[in-house]
Amino acid sequence: MTGGCSGRAQRAPGSLLPEQQQEPALSGDGSKLALIVDQRGRPTVQLKNLRGGGRLPLRHLNRHQPHSSPSLSWNGRYLAVIIQRGNRRLVLIEDRLNGRAHPLRLPSGRNPVRLSLSPDARQLAVQTAERGRWQVELLDLSGLLEPDRGGGLRQTNPAEPQP
Amino acid sequence: MTKRRPRLVALLIGLCLMGCGNSGLRPQPGISSALQRSADSRRWPSMGDRWLASIASRNGRERVELVNLRNGQPVPLPGINQADAQPISVSVSADGNRIALIRSREGRTELTLYRRGVGILQRLPLEPAGVPREVSLDGSGRLLAVQVSRQGRWDVDLIRLP
Repeated sequence: MTGGCSGRAQRAPGSLLPEQQQEPALSGDGSKLALIVDQRGRPTVQLKNLRGGGRLPLRHLNRHQPHSSPSLSWNGRYLAVIIQRGNRRLVLIEDRLNGRAHPLRLPSGRNPVRLSLSPDARQLAVQTAERGRWQVELLDLSGLLEPDRGGGLRQTNPAEPQP
Repeated sequence: MTKRRPRLVALLIGLCLMGCGNSGLRPQPGISSALQRSADSRRWPSMGDRWLASIASRNGRERVELVNLRNGQPVPLPGINQADAQPISVSVSADGNRIALIRSREGRTELTLYRRGVGILQRLPLEPAGVPREVSLDGSGRLLAVQVSRQGRWDVDLIRLP
């Protein structure tokens, strides 16, 4: 069944600027938005604060472009993104709380194509390609990252059933 | 012996760097293999708390699928996959109850929201009009960010949902 649905729309902060915005990724709590913008011809990730406004600093993501497929944890403590280092694509997770960077090569040796970080940052889903076929690999990050607080602490709406 | 020592040190440093880079990163071969076996191809992963939404291809047809990561089993999504529609981008809320979907149907590309509890797919109009390309839901499923093409440029719209 398909029906209409109205929502209140607005442009993301900075939409009126000439730079184009692609690959949006919201934090779980909806307070932050990661985007890929074109900076002098180099696709670069930016992080916007949707509640206070303005851009948030990223310590490790001013180079290794092109960046692609950003993904945020619940509070936006962790930003995962695909970067280019030499002729390899790899995943970099920036921990905004302590300023650390975690560059990750996939155990399978494949190049990442697309990412999704779980809200609590305990798992990462990575789309890869093998012999012309897309695959999704799951990685356990619980030995690498502290969980992002907030993930798993929400109450679900009792009107919406759980399986 | 002395000549070999620098090589040995370099080897040890190299091994340490390789190991340190992925320290604490563990593959999940069980669920990853199950995902690979259950589809000819799978793309566009989106993670909830214990959910994985993706676009899975079988026999040349692509469908939106939601897998419960606790047991590795897909859950039914009645009404989300239609024979004349091609999924493009998908995003799931943290609790797995809402799925935002961009799909191509009858020559149009449209943004939709699926509510699993009621099994209804709702079309979300874009204002001003544009062609959606990529979507992201927040954890609650009540805030949506969508990449939209308008007059040859890419914008990102934020849409608050009831």
